[in-house]
Amino acid sequence: MSAGSLASTAGTVPTAPQIVSLQNVSRTYRIGVVDVPALVDVSLEVADGEFVAIVGPSGSGKTTMMNILGCLDRPTSGRYLFDSVPIGELSDDQLALVRSRSIGFVFQNYSLLPRTTALDNVAAPLLYQGIPRAERRRRALAALERVQLADRVHHQPSELSGGQQQRVAIARAIVTEPRMLLADEPTGNLDSHSGAEVMDLLRELNATGRTVVLITHEEAVADSADRKISLRDGQVAA
Amino acid sequence: MNLRELVRLSLQRISANPLRSALTMLGVIIGVASVVAVVAIGQGTGRRISTSISSLGTNLLTINAGRSANGLVRGAAGSATTLTLDDASAVAALDSVAAVAPGVSTQQVVAAGRQNETVSVVGTTPAYLGIRADQVWQGSFLTSVSDEFGLRVAVLGSTTATNLRLDASAIGSQIRIGGLPFRLIGILQPKGGAGVSTDDVVIVPLSTLQHLLSASGSLSSVSVSMVDGANSSATSSLITALLRVRHRLSSTQTSDFSVLTQDQLLQVASTVSNTLTLLLVGIGSISLLVGGIGIMNIMLVSVRERTREIGIRKAIGARRRDVLAQFLVEAVVLSVLGGVLGLGIGALASLVIGQVAGWGFVFSLPTFVIALVFSALVGVVFGVWPARQAASLDPIVALRYE
Repeated sequence: MSAGSLASTAGTVPTAPQIVSLQNVSRTYRIGVVDVPALVDVSLEVADGEFVAIVGPSGSGKTTMMNILGCLDRPTSGRYLFDSVPIGELSDDQLALVRSRSIGFVFQNYSLLPRTTALDNVAAPLLYQGIPRAERRRRALAALERVQLADRVHHQPSELSGGQQQRVAIARAIVTEPRMLLADEPTGNLDSHSGAEVMDLLRELNATGRTVVLITHEEAVADSADRKISLRDGQVAA
Repeated sequence: MNLRELVRLSLQRISANPLRSALTMLGVIIGVASVVAVVAIGQGTGRRISTSISSLGTNLLTINAGRSANGLVRGAAGSATTLTLDDASAVAALDSVAAVAPGVSTQQVVAAGRQNETVSVVGTTPAYLGIRADQVWQGSFLTSVSDEFGLRVAVLGSTTATNLRLDASAIGSQIRIGGLPFRLIGILQPKGGAGVSTDDVVIVPLSTLQHLLSASGSLSSVSVSMVDGANSSATSSLITALLRVRHRLSSTQTSDFSVLTQDQLLQVASTVSNTLTLLLVGIGSISLLVGGIGIMNIMLVSVRERTREIGIRKAIGARRRDVLAQFLVEAVVLSVLGGVLGLGIGALASLVIGQVAGWGFVFSLPTFVIALVFSALVGVVFGVWPARQAASLDPIVALRYE
């Protein structure tokens, strides 16, 4: 079944290994004494190098999906294999290691470290990999160049426009050369011009072989992905 | 993340908000500064006391009349009537003893013109001057004649002379001691010294004072100088043995006198000054403790303010221990910085106080090291809880925190 769906998706190599594999994943939040299901029995797969958009209205479970895919949270039931690693069985510190090495996050609100220069922001993930300062600096500069912000390296987030901040965030997400980029409403706070720039950048990064998972409520944004997965009420819509 | 990165990160954070960081450190600064200054003052005072005790002459022994509990504290007045002039002569006959000066002392009101003061009046013999290593500044000291005839003549210590507004021109004038007229024949050189000042004293002939007190024969103390090279503790034991025989004390009875060497006096003085220093250091430590609580308070606020930052750091790969280390190191850097500033201020204060008080700058390396170690310890102790709070934040919650 999965082979069939992959084959029908444009731009993917059918033989590529699965980087993301959700098998009957549910996530339930307990609020007081009531169990609130956010994801119900979700199964989906993302192949290595794919550009997938997960789209759905608010309340559809997008945020929970993002937390699970990003290894920030564990499923209540079901299995999540990231790069063949069963995420549900890992400790908090092991999850941190997976995030550090394999996942790059791009958030709607940029989530840059305040009062910290673009360079230091981009270099921050390398800090947690124990990479020496000179090497961190070199790689952060390269990542900033990649997003065309080489002239803004010493600016703090408050001195950058929204579009520039999001590009710094993308540079930070790619500086560790992660297997997967996870973008949560990356254009949500941007004007259409900056938004288009950010989408172009994500497509470029995907073109160089990086898996990109885009989470959005805007169908127009989702259209630029190779494949769309629709969420409704915590379930994958047909 | 290694320690250098963490310290760099902390310094960045601390310098981003200098006023707040300074206020946070203030408690530690004050604590360390006060401890350092107090220790310096304590050591300066101790040094001055030992100098003034040494100025009495290192081969001096003092025999005090009266039973004592620990050999250092004299018994109540009146219990001391056993030391006699004959005892003093017997001690003087010992080989290791160079000279003795029997003494009687009492508190009396001394008046000169309109000034009057209650001071210690000592009745003694001419040998006193040499034994106590005193020097006459103006006039002359007691003579054998003045003692023999019980003349009403007096020599004043420099402090007493100043207090009574008497100077060189007053030599030969009349003063009143206990209401009786005396002739002022001399003023001593100041010896200096805090704590055990020997400058506030009036010296009169022994026989004169004994007569006045109707206490002929009994002495309150005997000052003894040893011959050069004599061992003070051996001489002290010898005197004790001699006097015990003379006083017919059985081996089970405690001595009705005590012999004090300069070493013992130094010991007492240093014990007193050490106890005082310890007390003040204790007070300084309390402000260090309060400073630590201040740091904890600010760190807790900081964890709350930086919840989003913590969420971001966790999302991009920071482990629990990375966040813990970051906040702990920040607290320690804050407190150590405060400690260093406090050391500087404390050293400056002790320099100024030392200059004013005249004992100079007392530099004590152990104090400096202990102060730094303690301020680091304060950072660890009061930084752990906020750091644990930061480390245990759920990244999902922290990321969405507004």
